[in-house]
Amino acid sequence: MSRSGPDTARVAATPDADHVLPPAEAMLWAQDLVKTHRGAETATHAVRHVDLRVDRGEFVAIMGPSGAGKSTLLHLLGGLDRPDSGRIWLDGQRVDGLSEARWSLLRRRTVGIVFQFFNLVTNMTAADNVELPALLAGMSPRQARARREELFAELDLEDRARSTPAALSGGEQQRVALARALVNEPGLLLADEPTGNLDSRNTRDVLRLLARYHASGQTILLVTHDARVASGADRVISLFDGEIADDTALHAPADGPTTVADVLRLKG
Amino acid sequence: MRLPLLALLAKEPAHGYELKQALEQTFGAAYPQPNIGQIYVTLGRLEKNGLIKGQDIDQSNRPNKRVYEITDAGREELAAWFAEPTEGPRVRDEFFMKLVLAPGAGGSDRLALINTQRRHYLNVMRGLSRLAAQDRDNRVAQLLIEGAMLHLQADLDWLERCQEELD
Amino acid sequence: MRALLRWVRADLRAHRGQAALMVLVTAVIAVSLILANALLRDAANPWQRIFLQSRGAHVWIHVRSGADTAPLTRLDGVTGVAGPYSTASADLVRGAEKVSLELRAAGPQLPSVARPLVRSGRWLDPARSDGIVLESSLARAMRADVGGTVTVRARDGATRTMRVLGVADSADQGSYPDWTPGLGWVLPTALDRVEPDPAHIQQAIGLRLRDPGSADFTAQQAVTTLGSGQVTQVTTWQQVRSAMGQDNRLLGLLLGVFGLVALVAAALATAGAAGGRVLAQVRDIAMLKTVGFTPAQVVRLFLYEHTALALAGMALGAGAASLFGPLLPGALGEAMGVWQAEPARAGALAATGAGVVLSIALATALPAWRAGRIPAAPTVRADRPASGISRLARLALLLKLPPALALGSRAAFHRPLRAGLTVARLAIPIMMITVALGSWATLDGFQDHPRQLGLAASLTARPSGIDDAAARRLLTEQPAVAAAYPGAEIPALVPGETTTITLRALGTADHPYPFALAAGHLIRDEDEAVAGQGALNLMHAKVGEWVRVTAGGTPHILHIVGRDIEPDHNGEMLSVDLGALAGPGGTPKAQYYALVLRPGANPTAVRTDLLAASHGRLDVRPVANPAAQLGLVRVVVVGLVGVLTLIGLAELVTATASGLRDHVRDLGVLRAMGLTPRQVTAIIVTSTALLTTAAVLAGTGLGVLLSNRLINMEGQASGVGAGIARMPAPETLLMAGAVAVAVAACVSVVPATRATRARITAALSANRT
Repeated sequence: MSRSGPDTARVAATPDADHVLPPAEAMLWAQDLVKTHRGAETATHAVRHVDLRVDRGEFVAIMGPSGAGKSTLLHLLGGLDRPDSGRIWLDGQRVDGLSEARWSLLRRRTVGIVFQFFNLVTNMTAADNVELPALLAGMSPRQARARREELFAELDLEDRARSTPAALSGGEQQRVALARALVNEPGLLLADEPTGNLDSRNTRDVLRLLARYHASGQTILLVTHDARVASGADRVISLFDGEIADDTALHAPADGPTTVADVLRLKG
Repeated sequence: MRLPLLALLAKEPAHGYELKQALEQTFGAAYPQPNIGQIYVTLGRLEKNGLIKGQDIDQSNRPNKRVYEITDAGREELAAWFAEPTEGPRVRDEFFMKLVLAPGAGGSDRLALINTQRRHYLNVMRGLSRLAAQDRDNRVAQLLIEGAMLHLQADLDWLERCQEELD
Repeated sequence: MRALLRWVRADLRAHRGQAALMVLVTAVIAVSLILANALLRDAANPWQRIFLQSRGAHVWIHVRSGADTAPLTRLDGVTGVAGPYSTASADLVRGAEKVSLELRAAGPQLPSVARPLVRSGRWLDPARSDGIVLESSLARAMRADVGGTVTVRARDGATRTMRVLGVADSADQGSYPDWTPGLGWVLPTALDRVEPDPAHIQQAIGLRLRDPGSADFTAQQAVTTLGSGQVTQVTTWQQVRSAMGQDNRLLGLLLGVFGLVALVAAALATAGAAGGRVLAQVRDIAMLKTVGFTPAQVVRLFLYEHTALALAGMALGAGAASLFGPLLPGALGEAMGVWQAEPARAGALAATGAGVVLSIALATALPAWRAGRIPAAPTVRADRPASGISRLARLALLLKLPPALALGSRAAFHRPLRAGLTVARLAIPIMMITVALGSWATLDGFQDHPRQLGLAASLTARPSGIDDAAARRLLTEQPAVAAAYPGAEIPALVPGETTTITLRALGTADHPYPFALAAGHLIRDEDEAVAGQGALNLMHAKVGEWVRVTAGGTPHILHIVGRDIEPDHNGEMLSVDLGALAGPGGTPKAQYYALVLRPGANPTAVRTDLLAASHGRLDVRPVANPAAQLGLVRVVVVGLVGVLTLIGLAELVTATASGLRDHVRDLGVLRAMGLTPRQVTAIIVTSTALLTTAAVLAGTGLGVLLSNRLINMEGQASGVGAGIARMPAPETLLMAGAVAVAVAACVSVVPATRATRARITAALSANRT
């Protein structure tokens, strides 16, 4: 399978020794990641020899049909799951051999994660859900509260602080989840189908927020099957059957169609 | 543009420039800006066909303006338009032809074709996203953009199917 | 740490009811353990209670007459003084018996230090100069009653009849006959009459100390102060206490076993509840890890939470026990009052608390560890392969039972492992309740069927002032007396042992006494004997062996042909035929007669009749029944059944909750298929009831086995001997089981109804990811 496109060369530069250092501008660098899910009778090759690099400040989307291994790849990169083989550097640090506990410590400050089903802690209020990782990272309750209030103001959640997740709408839950992921100002934001469970309006809101945080310098790696979501990214990686099928930087908007009619005309 | 103009005139009589403004207001940036000359040509044709009728109105220290109103024949035409279902966009036969025929013809492989097409769609999608961001208050425009995006999404999904089946 | 606390707080708030129940269970267990501890100490050591209540003296010093005891009161650390009392030695004579007695001269006012506690009758009265108050163990041994008379023989041989005004407990010395001389209080004038020679009058002075630990030092100081020539005897409270090592192991062991099993049951309940919580929160836990909780922190979350609950329960229990314990009626309250004043209390409380909290923490450890192992990635739960209908459910279908029953049995048992665990956890409290009922039944056995438990005779009659033939005639004339067995008891020395056992000759060769045999056969020959378990233990002998004992200087070689159940004297009884004691002078005279009454006869009435018929020349007494002393056990049994029921309830709540969680989706499907809410509720209730029924069957079965084992073991240890255990009546068990199932059904109705009310769509989507 060939890897065409302007950015392929960048990811394909495989170092052959373990002591190779990642480029300084790489927030995330993965080499030759392999993960196979073994069931009772079958083995699913979820991720097959994936090389990936995300630079600081980049917004990268991973697209692909369901079952392509997108979520597994994201879990590997966030330390939620362990690769069978391969190497990962996060913020310049080699992380693939870390213990689960070390990963947890790393995630507190360096990686924020947003999921499709929001995955808020059901027993805690929205405010507690956001302040929890802040406290965990060592903030004082006062600092955590201030930071949370700041995020809630940005995400239009001020009046929802005392609600439990069950009392929130899907869009609100995802915004709380976003606040939780960003509360410690992580170097990398991982988002796993963040809009997969939202209607169009909430999808648009979440995308707008992601774009805003990206504009202020946040590095984002997002997994989605939704092209609308992916098109917000600077770069789109197509994952197919556990392998990278394509990796492309999206053009500046000037190159695109200026009106809907341009699109519709394409339909012929 | 014939029938949209007729629909606007069914609401109230108007002259050419008013019609251009109404179109712009309704569809916003999502729709191509109508050319005033084209509007006058279309109006002339509609009048000739008896669907509308025009009337010159004198204006002090300005050229006369011609105000159009819809005729009964025009209303019938409009009713027929509304009554009949609209043909949806068809599958992109051209790309499909390329995809099926390229390997045999010694052209680029299918994956390259698919990737090229996907990049194109994604760029288009990105453009639409920007467009949507520009004209956030116009609900009609937003709906239009969303429609286009959903079409693109369908095309991208179809590309994935092609990749699965033909790879 | 802050983050952990934040989560624990939120979790507790979300599970208020369950948390409150756990706190309550822990509190009740704490209370019962504290009560058990207090009772155990109290039962094992009544001296402690007497000492406390009488404000006993820590040091007693006897000095010669004329010695100046005033300096003793000024010794360092002395906070109170008893006496000095004039004392004189004398003998207490009763028939042929003679025991040495210390007469102590006391005023009509009870002293504030070392105050004798009048148990019956009253204290000395100046109007009754011939009055005497006897120490209670002496009174018991001498069979002296309030209102009766005793004969006191002075040193010079003169006898004087004195009236027993009262019987009092005293912590001043050990109990008679282990501690001699016995103690009696008289007025100073009476003392002077008994012992007119001042040279033979001693003085006894008791010192109460600020620091009980310094008793030895103070005693030493006192002797130095007075001069060793003046001191005749020094006793410290430690000596007295060790002399009073009373045996009440039956109660102690029962309490201990029950308390601990209750704790184990509570720990299991905690483990179950925590385990259920972990299962219910798999997603939340994964999420916690995602935001940066380490596995160790997740483990700590659960440990902290449940330890905090245990601590709260422990504090609540300890507080309640301290505040309300002494207010409890009867022996419990008394024991708690004593316990609270005990210096070792803090240590015991700390140990109990640590034990309880540690057990709960340990029980939480496994589920907590499992929580720590939950992967961080929110895994999609693989749908379980459609489970086949369980055999039970198939049977239910086959029998054309209503759908609720068929589906309920499927719901209950379609995951055999989990169902098994639930049944096991529910079965433990039920098992212990059965054991408690077994103890109860055993006590009933002592009361209702004393013959089977070594208490064939309910009265003893001792001739006093009439000859044997006349006594015999009197007894045979009494219609209610079925049989009168002549008996005699003498101490016998076991060779190679420094201890003595009681050699009891009871019944004759042609008229053998109906011993309650647990093994072997009855006495058929003069060299045959039956022994209680205690005697066997002391002699290191088994049934079938020959032993050589020395009684009254005469060696007897006896063949032990059986083991009888001996509730008395710790079972340290070797029983033979009266003929076995025959010497050159023929068969010895009967000291007493053991009276077996006809069925239905009232011992009290028979005693009154006999006393009247003999004009008081037959001393008729009821045989003490250990069950009467074990009334406390009944209180404990009731309390424990309460605790265990509470634990069982906690288990039920867990079981119902986890059962519902497993089936929420299924129930949605069932409702979508057209079952009415009532039918769905019926399914849940049926499922819980079936699980409880299984637990009741298992628990009761095991409980009956365990109860027999435990009680017989206890019987063996206490010398009474195995074979005393009685099974609870089948109808009692049946009723208990039915109540358990009914309660289980009721408990599950509430959550079942709530689950049923949930929207079908909510139930159907409850399990996504």
